[in-house]
Amino acid sequence: MRKNDALLSHLDWPLFIAFFSLLIFGMATVYSVAFNEEHPNIFAFSEKYGKQMLWLGVSLFLGLLIFLIDVDIYRKFAVPIYIFTLSLLVIVLFMPPINGARAWIGIGSMGIQPAEFAKISTALLLSKYISGLMIKHQTINTVLTGVGILMAPALLVALQPDAGTLVVFSSFLFVMYREGMTFDPIILKFVNRIPGINLKSTWVGNHFIPLLFIVVVLAVLTLIIGEVEFSFGFLPGIIIKGSTGIIITLAFLALLAYIYIRRFGTKRDRSSLTFIIIFGFIFMTSLSSSVSFVFSKLARHQKDRIEMVLGLKEDPNGKDYNRNRAMAAVGSGGAFGKGYKQASVSSVESNHVPESETDFIFCPFAEEWGFFGSVFLVFIYLFMLMRIVFIAERQRSSFNRIYAYCVAMILFYHFAINVGMNIGFVPVIGIPLPFFSYGGSSIMSFCIMMFLLLKLDSQRKDVLR
Amino acid sequence: MNLENRKYVIIAFILLVGFIYTSRLFYMQVVDDTWVLRAQEIAEKRKEIIPPRGVMFDRKGRKIVSNKTYYNLMMTEEKITHLDTVAFAKLIGWTPIMVRERFKEIVKGEGVYYNKSSGRHTSNYQKMRAYPFLKELTLDEITKILVHIANFPGFKEEVTSMRTYPYANGANILGYLNEANREDIESKEINADHFYRPGSNIGRSGIERFYEKELRGRKGIRYVVTSAMNNAIESYANGKYDTVAKQAIPLKLGMDIVMQAYGEKLMKGKKGCIVAIEPATGEIITMVSSPSYDPNLLVGRRNISLNYPKLARDKDIPLFPRPLQAEYPPGSIFKLVQSLIGMQEGVVSENAGFACIKSMVGCHNHPNATCIAEAVQYSCNPYFYQLVRKVIQQKVRKNLYADAEYGLNKWHRYMSSFGLGKELEVDITGQNGGLIPNSKYYDKWYGHHQWGFSTIRSISIGQGEIKLTPLQMANIAVIIANKGWYYSPHFVKSIGKKGPKANFRKKHKTLVESKYFAPVIEGMRRVVNESGGTAKSARLEDIIICGKTGTVQNPHGQDHSVFIAFAPRDNPKIAIAVFVENAGAGGAVAAPIASLMIEKYLKGKVTKEKESRLNKAEEPNIIH
Repeated sequence: MRKNDALLSHLDWPLFIAFFSLLIFGMATVYSVAFNEEHPNIFAFSEKYGKQMLWLGVSLFLGLLIFLIDVDIYRKFAVPIYIFTLSLLVIVLFMPPINGARAWIGIGSMGIQPAEFAKISTALLLSKYISGLMIKHQTINTVLTGVGILMAPALLVALQPDAGTLVVFSSFLFVMYREGMTFDPIILKFVNRIPGINLKSTWVGNHFIPLLFIVVVLAVLTLIIGEVEFSFGFLPGIIIKGSTGIIITLAFLALLAYIYIRRFGTKRDRSSLTFIIIFGFIFMTSLSSSVSFVFSKLARHQKDRIEMVLGLKEDPNGKDYNRNRAMAAVGSGGAFGKGYKQASVSSVESNHVPESETDFIFCPFAEEWGFFGSVFLVFIYLFMLMRIVFIAERQRSSFNRIYAYCVAMILFYHFAINVGMNIGFVPVIGIPLPFFSYGGSSIMSFCIMMFLLLKLDSQRKDVLR
Repeated sequence: MNLENRKYVIIAFILLVGFIYTSRLFYMQVVDDTWVLRAQEIAEKRKEIIPPRGVMFDRKGRKIVSNKTYYNLMMTEEKITHLDTVAFAKLIGWTPIMVRERFKEIVKGEGVYYNKSSGRHTSNYQKMRAYPFLKELTLDEITKILVHIANFPGFKEEVTSMRTYPYANGANILGYLNEANREDIESKEINADHFYRPGSNIGRSGIERFYEKELRGRKGIRYVVTSAMNNAIESYANGKYDTVAKQAIPLKLGMDIVMQAYGEKLMKGKKGCIVAIEPATGEIITMVSSPSYDPNLLVGRRNISLNYPKLARDKDIPLFPRPLQAEYPPGSIFKLVQSLIGMQEGVVSENAGFACIKSMVGCHNHPNATCIAEAVQYSCNPYFYQLVRKVIQQKVRKNLYADAEYGLNKWHRYMSSFGLGKELEVDITGQNGGLIPNSKYYDKWYGHHQWGFSTIRSISIGQGEIKLTPLQMANIAVIIANKGWYYSPHFVKSIGKKGPKANFRKKHKTLVESKYFAPVIEGMRRVVNESGGTAKSARLEDIIICGKTGTVQNPHGQDHSVFIAFAPRDNPKIAIAVFVENAGAGGAVAAPIASLMIEKYLKGKVTKEKESRLNKAEEPNIIH
């Protein structure tokens, strides 16, 4: 019991407070957005907020259990847990579809989405796998096994279909990157076939994942906002096209990075870093430009298809409708917001923004609390993510560290995609905002994920490896 | 590379996203206000409640302009499921092609608004909004549709109100309403207060136009939060910004609708006008413009698009408000004003006699006039040549031409004080002022100092360049009845209980003193009541009518018949001008009509025999 007595003193309070404040804000927003005058009680289980309260209660209870259970079992049982959730993901494919997706296991309204829990089990197994690797001696097999661990659930999720969660599984790539898993063996295998070339490693191979990420994000962003025209109230008459805006932003960031390395970079690194910045700027600018160029040369039906996928074009599922409404709700919040329970566009009752209590819950929050509120929320998430990275780096056990990074990246993905969706930067792929969105599976899985992290961290000093 | 440093890559990604999202939120929520507008469009519906327009009563308190409830068939595209176009078309009595066309028209045309930030007209058509598919249906029509409406989800009815005219008279005076067009809506003058939106009505002519602001009332505005299904959920900010719709207070007109109807009946088949004014107040009792039309023909978009082109193409131009806009030479009635000016100028006395010298200008056979009264009675043309010559050529300047210039301009000032040669301040827009020439006018024609009285003498008997509107002619009768003053003629006796507009309470005095009116009035009495008068047909047994006929020479056809009068002689109650185009002598047609109008107004009924006599005499004059 000594361990548990130490739990409270070793708990990471900053993270815990951020985590709990998000839960509270989320609950308050669900209550506001789904408010029904006939059942004003927050424990009214006929209403969504009542159910959410129930889920929160269950989550806290699970949290308590996690705090009581010894941490070692997660590492020991990572494989069975992984296989168990994997089998759930298979079973779910034989369930009757709800809203076009076979994502639910359960009876009646009380169902769970195994995909949400699969993230945790994948994180656990990946942590176990990578922590056992000799990172300096990687082969194609080690890379492919790592990728395979995350690909198995990802593919099953894709069959549901659930594009959002599929994308989230790619967040583990970042963890692999941090841990030094590279795609170099694969790249080298191809590059070294060229006669006369025999490389030991490549920069692209080592940094393959973030580079891939940048390319994808930039391409998607260019497609989404490239044709949008921005005008500024304080600069009347000036209209900037989105594609121009991206280039301006890139230039600004390059300048910022340059100033940074002039100021803090060591003399030795300066010239190579400057080269990387210049090269990176040119690369990204030409990438963005060529994406818009290629897109403009596409045939109409091809454009339509891409625009449909990105939610730019009205399609039968009304993704453009959602996105447009969501942006109107966020934008109309103004600097100070409309006030709690005053969201006129995004309340569930008005139903202008569908899914405003789940995937689009950022809308009512931003509409009610305005710029300062929504930026405050962004800051809490950023703080939480930075704190988790900080926690990860202080772990003695690499299992703990990798798991913490997994949590950080999953949360980061959810946050970035969900908020991005609400402000028109990201295609509408339905994934919940962690600790905020209504929904039992998402609340429970994120809480379990977080409690596990807190528990692991609280016992970091007991673990020797 | 040290793997631990890779955490900075991850941190950089997190911070970058945070930075970009914060900037984006700043842009969306603080800088760019289009989202606020967009959200308002989506959710904060400004529900405008347009009150029924103000009604109008006639001088006897009869409701002459009122409102009637109509129905629009509204369409909400989003709610339409599997529309059976054929069945729907059959229900509303259209062809399926028409239905499809109407759909396209709505999607293209409705909800177009001016986007300030882009400077373009943008269509704001939204699938979940209700747009009128059919407008202005009667209860009967909508009932037939509503029986089967359940088969056509996405369609529902909406109530609107439109004008209705219980009496089908006075169309040109009352005017009509039409939907405000884009020009009206974008006009900074007309729509300074943003009252008009696509679909709002606006007064297009007549009283409806002049009293637009008084009639339209106050719009009620309710701010409501609406749902995606366009249902109002709650009032916005507990109704803090709402205003209640208020119908305008009624207008009370000086018009007597029975007199108006009677006048229109008398003028049926003729071209011309009747203008009757109450001399003591300037209130217009009747203003007939013939031919006219039923004002109910121009109620609502459907009727207007159906009937307006027909009316506009009609060769008898029923839309033309003759009493206000037609300019005719006044003919002999002008002699009344000439007499008054002559006496006031002192160039003649009331007992001045001039021989009827037919070599000067044609005249009919009558004794020489020995005084003003006789001159008026006989309507002696040579007499007025000589009289007006004395006014124009006063021998003040040595040069004959300079003298004429001096005289004419003096004469012009008198005419102007009678409200001639300029627009009267009547409360209907779009009137003409007629023409009273001054020296500048003739200088342009003949050159400076190139003309004298003999050049312009036809103005003496109201021919030549002189042009008056029938309203001005009636106003001459008013001035004589009042012995020298008038209130600007006006239609609206009172706005609610506030009385007429201020400018109709201002007395206009002519430059002729009241003492000079007696001989002219005596002459007018003789015209109607003595043998040798030109309007004996207008005589009434028990009421002394004072009048003056005119026969306006018309180079294009038969002469116009004109008559102005007032009655009773003492304490006059009505002054009237009747102008009938191509009807011959003033005594033959115009005078009996005026007489009937006066009799009807003063006694409430007319002698049937006289009426039928008029109709018989008229037959050859019916316009073809």
